[in-house]
Amino acid sequence: MIKLFDASFTRLRKNRLFWILSLFSIALAFFMIYTRYWDMKTYHDSIEVEQLMLNYSTMIGIVIAIFASLFLGVEYSDGTIRNKIIIGHKRMHIYLSNLIVVTITSLFSYLLFLGVVACIGIPLFGSITIEFKELLMLLGCIFVTTIAYSSIFTFIAMIISNKTITAITSILLAFFLMMVALTCFNILEAPKTIQEASMVDGETKIKAVPNPKYPSKEKRKLCKTLLDVNPAGQMFQIAGRATPNLSVFPLYSLGIIVIFTGVGLVFFQKKELK
Amino acid sequence: MEIVLETNQLEKKYKNFKALNDVNIHIEKGAIYGLIGRNGAGKTTLIRIICGLQEPTNGTYTIYGKDSPSDILKVRKRMGAIIETPSIYKEMSAKDNLIEQYKLVGMPNLDDIDELLKLVGLEDTGKKKAKNFSLGMKQRLGIAISLASNPDFLILDEPINGLDPQGIIEMRELILKLNKEKRITILISSHYLDELSKIATHYGFLDHGTIIKEITSFDLMKKMKHKIKLKVKNQKEFVKYFEENQISYEVIDSKTIHVYGKYNLSQLIMDLSKKNLVAEEVHEQEESLENYYMNLIGGSKND
Repeated sequence: MIKLFDASFTRLRKNRLFWILSLFSIALAFFMIYTRYWDMKTYHDSIEVEQLMLNYSTMIGIVIAIFASLFLGVEYSDGTIRNKIIIGHKRMHIYLSNLIVVTITSLFSYLLFLGVVACIGIPLFGSITIEFKELLMLLGCIFVTTIAYSSIFTFIAMIISNKTITAITSILLAFFLMMVALTCFNILEAPKTIQEASMVDGETKIKAVPNPKYPSKEKRKLCKTLLDVNPAGQMFQIAGRATPNLSVFPLYSLGIIVIFTGVGLVFFQKKELK
Repeated sequence: MEIVLETNQLEKKYKNFKALNDVNIHIEKGAIYGLIGRNGAGKTTLIRIICGLQEPTNGTYTIYGKDSPSDILKVRKRMGAIIETPSIYKEMSAKDNLIEQYKLVGMPNLDDIDELLKLVGLEDTGKKKAKNFSLGMKQRLGIAISLASNPDFLILDEPINGLDPQGIIEMRELILKLNKEKRITILISSHYLDELSKIATHYGFLDHGTIIKEITSFDLMKKMKHKIKLKVKNQKEFVKYFEENQISYEVIDSKTIHVYGKYNLSQLIMDLSKKNLVAEEVHEQEESLENYYMNLIGGSKND
């Protein structure tokens, strides 16, 4: 498997997409710092640098979808995955090495972002305002969820043999997961009561009435679970720091990693490579 | 003679369609084995199975005598292959493609990459990306990649498809060079029969997923050389005459004799008649590999 890593990282170093995504992470960090700095100067907002550090998590899924589908998809479109099998590499090793390369690249992308925010953001906005341990926990959760994202998009890239279909499927899925998360958020944030205005004897009276859109207990539970299991939902909650229990996220992520990698390995083991 | 590849009743089914049906082939060390068959005969399926890209439905195969999956994985390191199209990263240069393959193989250093590029005639391609190569150059880069592990068994699936005449000549010379100088056993599939006949030492004829004949080039040449086919009644007397006059012949059945060699047909008939040997039928034949193949598969009725 070391040979597979060696070959993959050699290719990664020369891969244009990898450098574009790395530059994107750096540019995004600069852009976020600039806009927040402008807000601070214009509106005298107080900026929490740790919030900036967490913001990239909401869009890392799309970055991983693009990278995994195109970087791994080339192996099918150019047929080079056959070279690995012909010279005797085990399919399991090929799959796992690809998963690890995608994971490391995704984490590297986030670390680049963090590095820029830390180096420029802290001198500009001041030190972090929460406990360092808490920040580490939040970042730890982001990293585990990033691995879960990597396992999903590696699965797609290794199962579908057509690079274009892989890219479209992965990117659409990344957006779909975000849409599902936002929908769940909206449902959960619906207030229990809404204010209703009525005219009684020429007087306007406002009273609180039950919100018909307030979800039932079962629906709330379902939405919460969907939000917690969904990597995009996890990232939104972490970035929004509205999570009651951070410890369940890594468990859900671990479940995603095990399921997608396990099923992916079984499929790839039997996949007929043409 | 050491057998490099042997298949035993290999079968591959796609739902109700049998792509391979009880295929048995034997490839000796040092051979250039020409796998001949029309499009859809099962050549690529057979090669994909041998290379581990597909699993057979039934049957087994051995590579260098190894038949267990774990042993085959190990001996695959001694193999190289190009299947249909060369497997190369199109956004990389020839050298970078080879570096990638060297890393995959686990070669201790990259020193002999330039030598390998020279061997396949790509030493002057510099930083030019593989996507800008001609088809012939891509094929040669594919061969260089398959040679990265210093294999002693090379599988080439339709390596001259789409090549121009110059490309075909270069490919032929390269294959012969690899076989003669590096002692690499080669399995080459093609439907360009004339081209195969120039390099192959052994042939396997595949039709409708079945190997219908395996033959050495030597035996095939014997069958293909100029021959006169005689239908006779008194076969023993004919045989006696051919023996006495040291004429190369082969008894096919109780009535048929083949006489090999460039004889003047009229002269031969006259010589025979002087000895009161009269044939019922006389046919002069000069067979090509194509004719031989067509006869094997039952001629044009199968087309």
